Amino acid sequence: MDGIHDLGGKEGYGPIEVDEDESPFHEDWEGREWGIAQCARTPGITIDWWRHCRELIMPGDYLGRPYFDSWAQTDFSIYAEAGYFSEEEISAGKSPSKKTDYGKPAVAMTLKQVLQEDHDHAVRFDGEIETPPVFAVGQQVKTSRHGNSGHTRLPQYARDRTGTVHAYHGAHVFPDLSAQGVEIHQHCYSIMFEAAKLWPEAKWSQDKVYLDLFETYLAEV
Amino acid sequence: MATDSKPAPGFDASKVAEIHQHLHSHLPSESALRVKALETLLVDKGLVNPKTIDAWIEAYTEEIGPRRGAMVVAKAWCDPEYKARLLRDAPSAIDELGFLGKATAHLKVVENTDEVHNLVVCTLCSCYPFSILGIAPPWYKAAAYRSRAVRDPRGVLAEFGLDLDVDIEVHVWDSTAELRYLVLPQRPEGTEDMSEEELAGLVTRNSMIGTDRDLGENIEADG
Repeated sequence: MDGIHDLGGKEGYGPIEVDEDESPFHEDWEGREWGIAQCARTPGITIDWWRHCRELIMPGDYLGRPYFDSWAQTDFSIYAEAGYFSEEEISAGKSPSKKTDYGKPAVAMTLKQVLQEDHDHAVRFDGEIETPPVFAVGQQVKTSRHGNSGHTRLPQYARDRTGTVHAYHGAHVFPDLSAQGVEIHQHCYSIMFEAAKLWPEAKWSQDKVYLDLFETYLAEV
Repeated sequence: MATDSKPAPGFDASKVAEIHQHLHSHLPSESALRVKALETLLVDKGLVNPKTIDAWIEAYTEEIGPRRGAMVVAKAWCDPEYKARLLRDAPSAIDELGFLGKATAHLKVVENTDEVHNLVVCTLCSCYPFSILGIAPPWYKAAAYRSRAVRDPRGVLAEFGLDLDVDIEVHVWDSTAELRYLVLPQRPEGTEDMSEEELAGLVTRNSMIGTDRDLGENIEADG
């Protein structure tokens, strides 16, 4: 989707706020939101649907509100869309009846258990597919001119551009369909673009930009 | 409603856009209150246990953070065979230290050399190799970095105090799929006698993202 989230190469966002403070959370609520996002498990949800729900935040909110605030808003939207939260509950900030509708309440996990879960949560996205990869390492490819109006992972700045296949990653879950709840695998490649071919001001640059792109985003040159 | 049946997502983007409008008007403006409301609802419904939230905060404050990445880098500097494994199959190599986890099952390590400097960004969201670097810094998730890292990497580096020689190529890695990237910085000169643990102390978080390069500066700072 040609949304506000697709920031690569956009101009006018100013200097980087280089922050020396390396503490993971700067406010208590940021840690709470991080924890909520780790332990909330909505059946049937995919990471790409979650990302798409974040992309759908109104542009002013997306850019203007703090980062973990956007996670909270994404979680609200995920639960509301699936039917866990009503609009009334969201407005009130609490559930009118404290009755649990969804089976046994979540149990408390210890630090040791969540560390184990973090380790076990090294989710792989690759899988076997029958068709061989179309492109070979070293081959020139051209990216699609248009994106998908739903979730997609081909940024605007790298559309309709020529690049070179740098590496083949195997077949990975295709995000455009995963965001619709459909899991299929598609060949995924690291594509190298010369900065000179991406940006008018980089005409003499030797720098390079690498993106991980799916096969249907690409065509032979 | 049956007690064990849980609602499922309808993957309806138009509905989500409407929900976001509703949220915009009906959620409190203060972030702390929004998150409190979310937690209250989830706990009321038995979907989340607040003690588990506490445990996740502790995990990513005390246990999981850039120190892990620094240990991986220091080990690679000291052990050429480990470095070869790390460059070939990073998930297995970090799992040797018990660091495989969230968002690192498809980790790739990219090595800085005299000729190449690597820089990592996620222009579309904020993808980050959590289990070895912890929580991403605020600037990594901000629009300024996400927009400029691919277009003006040298300008970005200059703002981090790194004036990169024109002869050194910048390779920017935009994490657009489920691959995640870790920069392997160069071992500073004059560190031959340092232990792996001392070396890990030189490795900054930013050097593993690519917004820092010359770690020799940290030796002098340590005296």
